[in-house]
Amino acid sequence: MSAGVPIRLTVNGTAYDVTVEPRRNLADVLRGACGLTGTKLGCEHGVCGSCTVLVDGEGVRSCLMLAVQAAGRDIRTVEGLAADGRLHPFQEAMSAEHGLQCGFCTAGFVMLVVGALDADPSVARDPERLDALLSSNLCRCTGYEGIRRAVLRAYGG
Amino acid sequence: MGVRGMEKLREVGGFVLPADSAPVSVRVPDAAASWRLGRREDARLITGAGRYVGDLDVPGCLDAAFVRSRVPHGRLVAVDTSAATATDGVVAAWTAADLGDEVPLVPVYLATPGSAHRPCPALAVDRVRYVGEPIAVVVGADRYVAEDGADAVRVDIDPLPALVDPGEAAASAVQLFDGLDNVVTDMEFGDPVPDEVWQRAAVVVEGVYRQPRLVPTPMEPRALLAVPEEDGRLTVWVSHQAPHRLRDDLAADLKWDPERIRVRVADSGGGFGSKSGTYAEYLVVVRLALRLGRPVRWLEDRAESLLASPQGRGQNQRVRLAADADGRMLALDLEVDADVGGYPVGAFVPGETGRAAAGVYRTPDVHARVRTVVTTTALTTPYRGAGRPEQVYAVERTVDLLARRLGMDPAELRRRNLVPPEAFPYESPTGRWFDSGRYEQALDLALELADYAHWREEQRRRREAGGAWPLGVGLCMFAERSGLEQKEVAQEWAAIDVAPGGGVVARVGTCATGQSHETVFAELVARTLGVPARQVTLVEGDTAEVPQGVGTYGSRSTQVGGSALHRAALELIEEAKRRAGPGASYANGVVTAGGRSRTLGELAAAGEPLRVEGVYAAPAAYAFGAYVAVVEVDTELGVVHVLRLVAVDDCGVRLDDEIVEDQVRGAVVQGLGQALYEVMPYDDEGRPQAADLLGYLLPTIGELPPLTLGSTVTPNPNTALGAKGTGEAGCIGTPPAVVNAVVDALGEPGIQLPLTPEECRRAVAGREAGVR
Ligand code: FES
Ligand code: FES
Repeated sequence: MSAGVPIRLTVNGTAYDVTVEPRRNLADVLRGACGLTGTKLGCEHGVCGSCTVLVDGEGVRSCLMLAVQAAGRDIRTVEGLAADGRLHPFQEAMSAEHGLQCGFCTAGFVMLVVGALDADPSVARDPERLDALLSSNLCRCTGYEGIRRAVLRAYGG
Repeated sequence: MGVRGMEKLREVGGFVLPADSAPVSVRVPDAAASWRLGRREDARLITGAGRYVGDLDVPGCLDAAFVRSRVPHGRLVAVDTSAATATDGVVAAWTAADLGDEVPLVPVYLATPGSAHRPCPALAVDRVRYVGEPIAVVVGADRYVAEDGADAVRVDIDPLPALVDPGEAAASAVQLFDGLDNVVTDMEFGDPVPDEVWQRAAVVVEGVYRQPRLVPTPMEPRALLAVPEEDGRLTVWVSHQAPHRLRDDLAADLKWDPERIRVRVADSGGGFGSKSGTYAEYLVVVRLALRLGRPVRWLEDRAESLLASPQGRGQNQRVRLAADADGRMLALDLEVDADVGGYPVGAFVPGETGRAAAGVYRTPDVHARVRTVVTTTALTTPYRGAGRPEQVYAVERTVDLLARRLGMDPAELRRRNLVPPEAFPYESPTGRWFDSGRYEQALDLALELADYAHWREEQRRRREAGGAWPLGVGLCMFAERSGLEQKEVAQEWAAIDVAPGGGVVARVGTCATGQSHETVFAELVARTLGVPARQVTLVEGDTAEVPQGVGTYGSRSTQVGGSALHRAALELIEEAKRRAGPGASYANGVVTAGGRSRTLGELAAAGEPLRVEGVYAAPAAYAFGAYVAVVEVDTELGVVHVLRLVAVDDCGVRLDDEIVEDQVRGAVVQGLGQALYEVMPYDDEGRPQAADLLGYLLPTIGELPPLTLGSTVTPNPNTALGAKGTGEAGCIGTPPAVVNAVVDALGEPGIQLPLTPEECRRAVAGREAGVR
């Protein structure tokens, strides 16, 4: 075990002062030291996208980023999406369109879509770009159709 | 014959009721119209507030990491844990010798002859039989530390020869278990087909198929957290499909009263059969927690899951099918060598392939021989479909072969041979009773939805014009056992309680891993009672709340568990009327007798707790379907493009169409994975070749074909609810339809799963060689 490094993580607008080993990935620190377990780990090697969070507005696989790399940057997780007690429209759409079953991949898909589509909703109107985006993540339950419909519902495809 | 079948089915039907209860009239709630419910599960799952095993915050919890064999087969000479124990933060490092006098044995799913002689120790004792087999375990303050410790364990193994293929293993002089044959069981179903039947037949076709090994790959790998309680009890949090069986298995291992163990299933990240067993790691982690007196958690990681978690399928198949000149099937013979991996823990699965051999056809002579064989590979246990996709694949590919040989349209050939509706209940030559079916109706609908005639025309056009990618159309028809045949498990427990305030709590022994039970089962109870759904809460997956149960596997939850809840709700109405007094009537949660009306809640407040409970028995049912795939094959690159996929499923009465379709869609995509991408390859030395999700490919949204779902409804005749199962159909119907379509396009029947570009290129090369 190597010595811990003190860092400040800003997650969903809240500052977390934590001491972490440099080898710890962001996902583990979010889930552990920060207690934000909404972010899931489905592969821990960068393929499934379950661990997707936003770092400075960009979708990032938090299993591939070290926590120390995220120090001082603006991190958003699924826990921070609802504002003033209201769900993000895409969260509502996911439920309405049956975009989830077991829910384990859901936070990753939600952060992937919100990160990309809040910045550029036109992706929803371009089936190829939308497929390319959604192909970054894996879901083993739904067969994806509900997730696609949810994007169209929330972003008016 | 038919009458005998019904008697047999009815004999096991019915709710086991308290002796004094009155018979009830059966009412099916408004089920045919789809409910289209919003899912209750979602509020927590879309906000990140779900609680999976890895999310639970338990003070003082330790993490476990396993040391696994890197050698496929060998004698275990030495395991040195000293460096692990010395690692900073490591609390314990154990080998089999540390597990106590008796090393725990992994329980088999269902005892099959021969499994007891080939025990599977929870940690290897003196031999290893597959890459990934657990050898030691290290517990540390967290997972990083536990993995540091696991890396420091030194293992010395003297290699022995590997056995990768079940056919070769069956014939090999190398024995996985000294003094015992590698063939564990040799099962026969039906009588051998007489020689004269083969000789008399106008045509006999033969197909040889390989069922690759699949890794179920729920997005959450296996997970368990054992918490010793101060009062000497044990709580086990686990991602699981059958918590009661797990409780009983753990109790048997510890020689405890099962009541001392509480198994709790929190949110589960998918199962697909792979979370229905009691695995080596569970037994070890529980013992560690008890010995250390501290909570211990094991979260399998993905690499570990690909290497060591139980896999599915893995069969070598040979099918012979005989028919007369008109295409009437005369005889079918199926031979299977099923690979059960290093230990025969899941050896019952291939039995289903043999028992179901006839498929949906009225073939008079059907015989199956199924051998289960140990090899030096990971265990195979139930994976979505569990024996049924294997059977359907073998038969449906061979039926297409027959159609080609006869020059007959494969849809017409099937139509001629289907078991007709009036033949039910139908006993197949392999001794299976089919409850009901309208197969031709499903076929007609599938052909219509696929626009079959159009694609046949397009195919003809392309063949004549040449130049374009070859196009093929493939069919698959199947009947799928849902629920279970063995009497002890062809049942489910349910209870309903009404609180004085009117709240209704429904409990049932099934256990969802994503199938929307909280939503659908609560609604079912509410509609049967005629009360608002918000008044009803569903409880499952906690052995302290639900004293007995069978679980969620074999597509049984709605068929059996739903029926149990339905019956319990009807019983509750009768109980309410009995309490209200003579001549009572009941409507919408209000019971009226002698001019006095009371709600269920008021009735519950007035006296004894208002509660019913019981066990509902329901025999196996046979859901069925007809699938059509249209493909074109890029012969240059070997890539299969699925242009159209139609899935018509009849799962009896559907409570909520949308939620049924969720199941079908998900399973279809898994079936597509099986057809086109998925395989855990082993090299000749027995080493698995896919170490991550770039090596083991799952379908993404980019690979989805246009999918049309259709349904017919043939109610289950043996339950009041009328539902059959649906969770597995998609991955039964999809692979044969897609593969038949590719064979139809390429005209090369030798192609094997999965249809990777390499495999398709091989088939194209074969075709071109044949043409020249
Ligand atoms: S857990 Fe990060 S990509 Fe799979
Ligand atoms: S909902 Fe289960 S993995 Fe996507």
